[in-house]
Amino acid sequence: MRRLLLKITILAAALFMLPAVPPAMAETPKGLVEQLGDKAIRQLTGDMPRSERESRFQNLLSSGFDVDAIGRFTLGRYWNQASPAEQQEYLKLFEKFIVQAYAARFAEYAGEQFRVVSDRADGEVTLVQSQIFKPGSQPARVDWRVRTTSGQPKIVDVVVEGVSMAVTQRSEFAAVIQRSGGRVAGLIRALRDKTGG
Amino acid sequence: MRAWTKLRAQATRLSAVALFALAPVILVPVMASPATAQDAYDADPLEEINRAVYDFNRVLDGLLLKPAAMIYRGVLPEEVRDGIRNALDNLQGPVILANDLMQGEFGRAQVTAERFAINTTVGVLGIFDAASRYGRPRHQEDFGQTLGTWGVGDAPYLLLPVLGPSNPRDLTGLLVDSFVIDPWTHIARANDADWFTYTRFGLNFVDTRSRNIEALDDIERNQIDPYSFIRTTWRQRRANDVRNGRPAPGP
Repeated sequence: MRRLLLKITILAAALFMLPAVPPAMAETPKGLVEQLGDKAIRQLTGDMPRSERESRFQNLLSSGFDVDAIGRFTLGRYWNQASPAEQQEYLKLFEKFIVQAYAARFAEYAGEQFRVVSDRADGEVTLVQSQIFKPGSQPARVDWRVRTTSGQPKIVDVVVEGVSMAVTQRSEFAAVIQRSGGRVAGLIRALRDKTGG
Repeated sequence: MRAWTKLRAQATRLSAVALFALAPVILVPVMASPATAQDAYDADPLEEINRAVYDFNRVLDGLLLKPAAMIYRGVLPEEVRDGIRNALDNLQGPVILANDLMQGEFGRAQVTAERFAINTTVGVLGIFDAASRYGRPRHQEDFGQTLGTWGVGDAPYLLLPVLGPSNPRDLTGLLVDSFVIDPWTHIARANDADWFTYTRFGLNFVDTRSRNIEALDDIERNQIDPYSFIRTTWRQRRANDVRNGRPAPGP
């Protein structure tokens, strides 16, 4: 009888805890950024093999970011010029490229503190402002643009000291496309070469 | 004293010439305002020349500047290099102060003046940044930013040999800061001590390069078009500096 009671208690406790257990990220833009910043500093910094850092980065990227939306934005006006097949391949390569280019940049960090300073909603996009503190130097300002669609917040841009990652990548991709005669195929080839796939 | 006046006249003439020569380049893009944010950051009418300069800079950097920066970093311990950096930053104080004032940023001007007073004395000629510990953190200003706050636009993008990313506005700013506003250049010239100016410029260059070795290697390795990546990040960073870090209206 007591064991049954114990089982029921555990079951009930488990049921109550269930909503917190799935790996779904926080429900508010601010909470999302706080969790992600914490995880990035804990999981991505320090010594580890490159492949390990990239797979951890990949996990954080797909859980907190709207990668497809960023990819479309980054292709800019060329998105509509690309064929559906090109769009698909581009999005795949884009994610791979981001993982390879950005994961390694966390290797340099150590001993940083991350703090969300404020958040301000403007329609479906919320601007979350944060600071990264490093002992002995001035804090770096990092702003996050978070879009909430159907109750699920996702990051669509990261702005470091006024430099937007999305705008920067869009500009770089546009330059590559222009230099290959205005064809998206040129960018896809360049991304394929860079990511080795 | 005669030399001082003469140099002042020379410097003023030089920057006046620069302003005149560059005036059409500054004004034309202001009139033809870009249609969208995308075009604003991608516009690069001098791209072919700029890319040629980029290639030239890469060769020069690989042969001379990066090796010099690596030797500098390898030979001097970090504490010494930080002291040099602090002293160089402190020498920049008067220029920062003048530009704070011209931008009407009086609170920041006060911080700059106090920093200069504290670091020159307590900080032993600027070698130690004591002022930061007294709640007066460093900030940067230059005449290019001042022109920016007065409404001068940042187009067209200009990649300078050796000096790197710029535009007519910021190049003008650099000339005005270096030859008109900066007091040390005048004082050195008046005392037949031009070596001081050259040493300061050389140290500034090598130290700055030594602090960007990994960052530039990273960009060259990981981006598909480093030229445009540097162009866009630099432009956004300058726009951010002109706004003194206040958030921009987003896309």
